[in-house]
Amino acid sequence: MNKLAAKYLRPSQIPTKACHGCGIGMIENWLLQAIDELGFKQENVIFGTGIGCVGRQTFATWGGDNFGATHGRALAVATGLKLAQPDKKYLIVVGDGDAASIGTSHLIHAARRNLGVTVICEDNMGYESTGGQFSPTTPANYVTNSSPYGMAEPGFDPCDVVKAAGATFVAETTATQWHQTVKIVKKALQNDGFSFVHVRFPCNENFGAYALGTRDTLKNLEWIYEHTQGRKPDGSETDFTWETGIKHDVSNSRPEFSKIMRDMNARVRADMAAKAAAAAGDDKTRDDGHGTH
Amino acid sequence: MATLAVSTRDGLVAPWVEWEKRCTDGRRLLEAGTYALTEGAIAARCRVFAGYPITPATDIAEYMSKRLPQVGGYYVQSEDELAGMHACAGASLGGLKAMTATSGPGYTLMHDAYGWSITNEIPMVVVDAMRVGPISGITGAPGQGEFYIARYASHGGNFETIVLSPSSVQEAFWLTIDAFNLAERFRTPVTILTDQVISDMWEDLFIPADYDALDFVIPRKHNLMMPFYPVGSADLDVPPNLIGRGTGVCVSAYTHTEEGYDIEDMAAQWAQTYRLINKIRHHTDQLARYETLGLEDAEVVAVAYGANARTVKTGVLEARRRGVKAGFVRPITLWPFLDELYERDCRYVVCELNYDGQLVREVMRAAPDKKKVHFMGKSAELHTVAEVAAGLEGVARSNRVPELPYIWTEVR
Amino acid sequence: MSAIGGRLRTSFLLPILSVGCKILAMALFKAEKKAPKAGTAGKWDVVIGEDMCKACGFCMSVCPVPVFEYRTVTNKIGWFPMYVKHEENCIGCMLCYQICPDFCIDVAVRDEGRSTARVEQGQALT
Repeated sequence: MNKLAAKYLRPSQIPTKACHGCGIGMIENWLLQAIDELGFKQENVIFGTGIGCVGRQTFATWGGDNFGATHGRALAVATGLKLAQPDKKYLIVVGDGDAASIGTSHLIHAARRNLGVTVICEDNMGYESTGGQFSPTTPANYVTNSSPYGMAEPGFDPCDVVKAAGATFVAETTATQWHQTVKIVKKALQNDGFSFVHVRFPCNENFGAYALGTRDTLKNLEWIYEHTQGRKPDGSETDFTWETGIKHDVSNSRPEFSKIMRDMNARVRADMAAKAAAAAGDDKTRDDGHGTH
Repeated sequence: MATLAVSTRDGLVAPWVEWEKRCTDGRRLLEAGTYALTEGAIAARCRVFAGYPITPATDIAEYMSKRLPQVGGYYVQSEDELAGMHACAGASLGGLKAMTATSGPGYTLMHDAYGWSITNEIPMVVVDAMRVGPISGITGAPGQGEFYIARYASHGGNFETIVLSPSSVQEAFWLTIDAFNLAERFRTPVTILTDQVISDMWEDLFIPADYDALDFVIPRKHNLMMPFYPVGSADLDVPPNLIGRGTGVCVSAYTHTEEGYDIEDMAAQWAQTYRLINKIRHHTDQLARYETLGLEDAEVVAVAYGANARTVKTGVLEARRRGVKAGFVRPITLWPFLDELYERDCRYVVCELNYDGQLVREVMRAAPDKKKVHFMGKSAELHTVAEVAAGLEGVARSNRVPELPYIWTEVR
Repeated sequence: MSAIGGRLRTSFLLPILSVGCKILAMALFKAEKKAPKAGTAGKWDVVIGEDMCKACGFCMSVCPVPVFEYRTVTNKIGWFPMYVKHEENCIGCMLCYQICPDFCIDVAVRDEGRSTARVEQGQALT
């Protein structure tokens, strides 16, 4: 296996459970590059994930401490964990179901609190682990297992949601933007606050098969590539284009959640100490036997 | 009620019988149950509360928001109860003792978090201050509708749970410390099933002066080595795992191995379940807490827990005064259910704050003759002493609970 | 196309590019492999963990020169894995390393003194 995998991953969980040609492993490789280039040690990086393909196929591949929470609740767990272990780097690697559907409430509130974690939302535009139903990020009119007449519901971009909620770093890339993703993840990890990196990637078994009409790994990755640049090889425009790049960067400009809590505690305890000192001073001049508590 | 000379023995089995004797230095306050639950947690070194305000547990959230920063802890007001209990799990995994508090409508949102915490052996304390249901029901009245939900706190089966219930404000204080201790020893969420009356009522409360001197508080220790999950073993006192020391621990939503990652294998399921069930079942001797009165010669025994146990106990004394050989059993440990408390072959009258009958079914299962177990269900108010005495008298003299308004006697 | 650190959007570019002429966009995968330019190849060690390969075909397809080929025997996980047939053609672009979804590929500057040992070690990992 490659050197970074040998350095950081858990050998018993490689090869991963991912299907052939799945983007999850690719993206994890880029996360390892970002971690390595920043010089982070394995014991200082904690991976958290949820349920679904992104939750399961590479779960426990990270050789350090990691958790796989219930569906959608990885950020809820991270909120408590960050308070107890504030100095670690958190990579919360979740899918579009976990982040943009069942877990969106926790996503919004973690962004609002500016929780110091980096969320990598790996988006294959559907619920692929359960066979390929649509999700809130499925493109309009695409046929999936639960939108046999075409995706009718409006979708949304979780980047917009977290930006509105107060995230301090928001970016989007795709599975054909390896160098960009590594650079963006490095920047995201250096934000002491809530960072959100949205990476679109191909699913061959389900989205590819039902929405794109093929399980061919090359064709499906080409589809991602085309929608990244907005053009097909023959020059015609794609039906939609993803806006990639850094969408919002106010890194390190707002206090991080656990720091807010620690600062508040420090103020409260300083006040208490001051009051106790004042009361002790009073007691020296007034002894009525009541004592202090 | 004037003092009554009762020649029956009154016994309380609980660790705080000993603790109360040892703690003499402290303050006497007039305070509510929510205050006692909060202070008990702080005394047990709880340093994180993550929850959502809900009547009648709201005061716990408010007290925690005030007290935790004073002791270097963190109050998190979560976006919902589901997030709250998950955040408690995260904090506990990071090394801080954690607690959440809610009522029925919030409790039902916690099933997911319970399953995750039970499977991964994460210690914490969950308080459910029950009120009348279903759903929002009557917000300002006590209920006991979560007796079974507290045992079956998550889906999937294959686990045991520890559930305790106090019946006074003072007991709530000690019992909370006990709950944290049991959470540490058994590596599991411990549920405190209390109710609106215990939460809101004000009583005499003694608080020890120096929490740091309480040597019976079990401190948080960390397990830093494999096996992170000693599947196949029912050992007690295995320290909780820690995320943040680079031990490589995995915490998973699936059936897992000793290391914590997922495995789909019957042998692994057996080994994991062996631990989750037997670490509790094989140590029920460490979990027995209860109160009894007059069992040595009782012909009819009243059974109740929580707030209504107070009036039921007085009802038992009143029945004695009327010449009925009445006894009283108050389980404090609700789960694992203490079958041994119902071995006496006599009649039982189970007084519960619900109409569908939950505790009564367990007593029927445990008692020698289920046909001799009677039900007095009531909802929205505590049982009155008169009702209980009438019920005990009726069962003693004519083997049935008399017709009483708003008392449900049918069990199906 | 996208830009790091800026707010450049493909949608802003399209109106400019599409006026008048038809632009041929790049494809991701190169169907034709060209021989490496003189002086660029032969300096790289390429190792594939064949027992981890799931035969997605990305490495061979994204590689601009002929390096990879499929085995004709399956590996332990049931796929016909990729193997390094012409390591001497590798120009070190690292695209295969970036695109492999299974951590299989290592590309590094050839170390003449230890190259044999490196390759053997790579094979031992498979």
